[in-house]
Amino acid sequence: MGTAIDKTIFSSYVRKEGLFDEVFQSDGEVKSVYQKLLDLYGSRTIEDYVSLNNKAKSSFFNQGITFQVYGDKQSQEKIFPFDLFPRIIDSAEWETIEKGAIQRSLALNHFLWDVYHDKKIIKDNIVPIELLSSSPNYLHQMMDVDPPSKVYNHISGTDIIKHSDGDYYVLEDNIRCPSGVSYVICNRTALKRALFGVFNHYQTYTVTDYAENLLNLLESVKPPGVDAPVCVVITPGMFNSAYYEHSYLAKAMGVELVEGRDLFVENDFVYMKTTQGPVRVDVVYRRIDDLFIDPMEFHPDSTLGVPGLFAAYKKGNVTLANAPGTGVADDKAIYTYVPDIIKYYLGEEPILKNVHTYHCSRPDELKYVLENIKDLVIKPVDEAGGYGISIGNKLTKEEIEKVKAVVKANPRKYVAQPIMSLSVHPTYIDQKESFEQRHVDLRTFTVLGHDQQFVLKGGLTRVALKEGNLIVNSSQGGGSKDTWVLKQ
Amino acid sequence: MAGLKCRYMSYEYEIDYDTQNSYEKGLNEAFWQFLVIPEDNETQEVSYWHFENDLGERNSVSINGLGFKTVQVRSKKQVDHINFNAHFKVVKKEINPFDFELPSDLEAERAHLNSLEFKVDHEPYLRKTRFTTLPEQHRSYFEFDRSISIFENLTHLNHWTFEHLYFKTGVTDVNTPLSEIIEKRHGVCQDFTHLFCAIAKYNGVPCRYVSGYLHQGHGFFGDSQMHAWAEAFVPNVGWIGFDPTNDLLASHNHIKVCHGKDYTDCAPLKGVVYTHGANETKYSVFVKAAQQQ
Repeated sequence: MGTAIDKTIFSSYVRKEGLFDEVFQSDGEVKSVYQKLLDLYGSRTIEDYVSLNNKAKSSFFNQGITFQVYGDKQSQEKIFPFDLFPRIIDSAEWETIEKGAIQRSLALNHFLWDVYHDKKIIKDNIVPIELLSSSPNYLHQMMDVDPPSKVYNHISGTDIIKHSDGDYYVLEDNIRCPSGVSYVICNRTALKRALFGVFNHYQTYTVTDYAENLLNLLESVKPPGVDAPVCVVITPGMFNSAYYEHSYLAKAMGVELVEGRDLFVENDFVYMKTTQGPVRVDVVYRRIDDLFIDPMEFHPDSTLGVPGLFAAYKKGNVTLANAPGTGVADDKAIYTYVPDIIKYYLGEEPILKNVHTYHCSRPDELKYVLENIKDLVIKPVDEAGGYGISIGNKLTKEEIEKVKAVVKANPRKYVAQPIMSLSVHPTYIDQKESFEQRHVDLRTFTVLGHDQQFVLKGGLTRVALKEGNLIVNSSQGGGSKDTWVLKQ
Repeated sequence: MAGLKCRYMSYEYEIDYDTQNSYEKGLNEAFWQFLVIPEDNETQEVSYWHFENDLGERNSVSINGLGFKTVQVRSKKQVDHINFNAHFKVVKKEINPFDFELPSDLEAERAHLNSLEFKVDHEPYLRKTRFTTLPEQHRSYFEFDRSISIFENLTHLNHWTFEHLYFKTGVTDVNTPLSEIIEKRHGVCQDFTHLFCAIAKYNGVPCRYVSGYLHQGHGFFGDSQMHAWAEAFVPNVGWIGFDPTNDLLASHNHIKVCHGKDYTDCAPLKGVVYTHGANETKYSVFVKAAQQQ
């Protein structure tokens, strides 16, 4: 029922030179995988789209799929911004991503085994010893611990971008408690509700099998001698920014969601308090950081964890996923060595590229960094969530001086990378009621278990909603998109 | 001297560790972990142990992250205190701390210390912690002498620490920074030990904090409390105990419980209690030589 002033959804879409657009080729033609989608969406007006998008968003609120940002004074619950225009990855591209993610996760798992046992890679001078000795995430308590099936990084989140050269690069590995997978599933559910018919035209892999795979993984790494393991998800509590996800995963797996005070340890076994009395717990999917899991062993004033949990783990009476001490391998200073780590343990060339990284701890590289800050991204090695990142070409002169001083004061804490041009994707912008180019990345979720390797076919496409912004983290005002991986 | 058999003297000790903790507001739930059991090693063996708590709760023996035995007590009901007592019998061999030869090649010894392999193997105890980082302004207080062996340097360091600090209780606590201890020149065995560890590590010698019991009756410092000393790794010899509080090498009077990077790894009592009020902790240690064989 449109009138002459109705606009189709892409009528005011502007493509900027030099950016890699996921949907349009450089000549303006639509890429073939998106063609059908554009035909379907293209016949609609922007108003139709807006009203559907709003409905989808309110369903997120109604379901409580929200998060909170640390340090935000108002500390309002927010929904993770989302739009109904999906990102599509064809099967050939996906194969590379999937193989690359598994390769990385396996190599990092070998690395973790090694640094907690013989430390061969250090003795062979591939990875410098300083990266262990200066890492607060290298836990001596994990020395010579043999986790079931030798798996440390049961769940990995690998952040991947597509550069303007069209190649995929890994930006970082997250192997402590990576979050975001619940959004992948919720985004898909929301899109299916709003635009079910679209899925008739695309053969897309499901993402709702994640919980099933996660549960299989947890059960596969049960302690020896346990027949039918009791698994739980432990959360720091409802004030944690990812609480929704913790509760979602517990519910989807059909296991209990617990806080530290719901568990106790006796005689090196872990029990859950229930109305029917204590129930022994065999596998804990823990979403509490290493240093908070057990006040007897780590931060003594933490009330989030369970006293005695680590001793029970070390004795082999309970499995923790991920294993404690994985943080030593996803430190951004280790990141640089991942290609070497892959070659060392697997004898393979890395499938996914690394972004070149300068270590400020090395004097000559520090010098380069200080002289070229305007062309670099400066990152602290041990912060998550996009905190503390400075992007050189966005800084004023005074800010550059400040960053220089901060880096010089503590060089080990910083690495620098060339400013990568993340690919852009048409994204619906609320304030403008139109589609614009926004930078995106992709967090993939890899699950390693006993004889089990699984990459969720989809992953979380994160969108930097501010124009020109390159930081996609939700805590920095990022949004997300449903991500489709196509079958052949 | 063919035919001469080396016979070790052995000593038997009885040790009592006793602690009373009271909590003003009471506790709904609590968990305590005691790191007080002497370790079994080449020079000592626990022949008997007995634990008691007055809450009627089970005393469970567990092993902590660094491999040392602990006793855990969990209270399920409302309480306002815990009294815990541990009793041990320990057989200790006489130690001859000089039972090795000093190296003839000092360069080789130093090269060994600086080798990557050595640094990797000893990384945990070369790592500087909050309490074992030598402040920059104090780095020239005690310097290693390159013309003598590592062991001799450590012996000098032991003596220097003993001379530099005055033993004084109640002036420092577990949170006193090392710089303050060096400047004010007083402290207790923890402080002596941290200072020793800091200087040894600064000079590339692996060094660990040891918590244990000191046999009393010799007028040594630290005999009615848990004692602390250090173990440093001497290339080609192994870990050797230094007691800078008493200017001694660790001997049969030193009954080791555990070691760690610093005090935080070795705190004899850790507890998680859910309460708002103040709490009071008292403890005492009694070590008695039972007999000599």
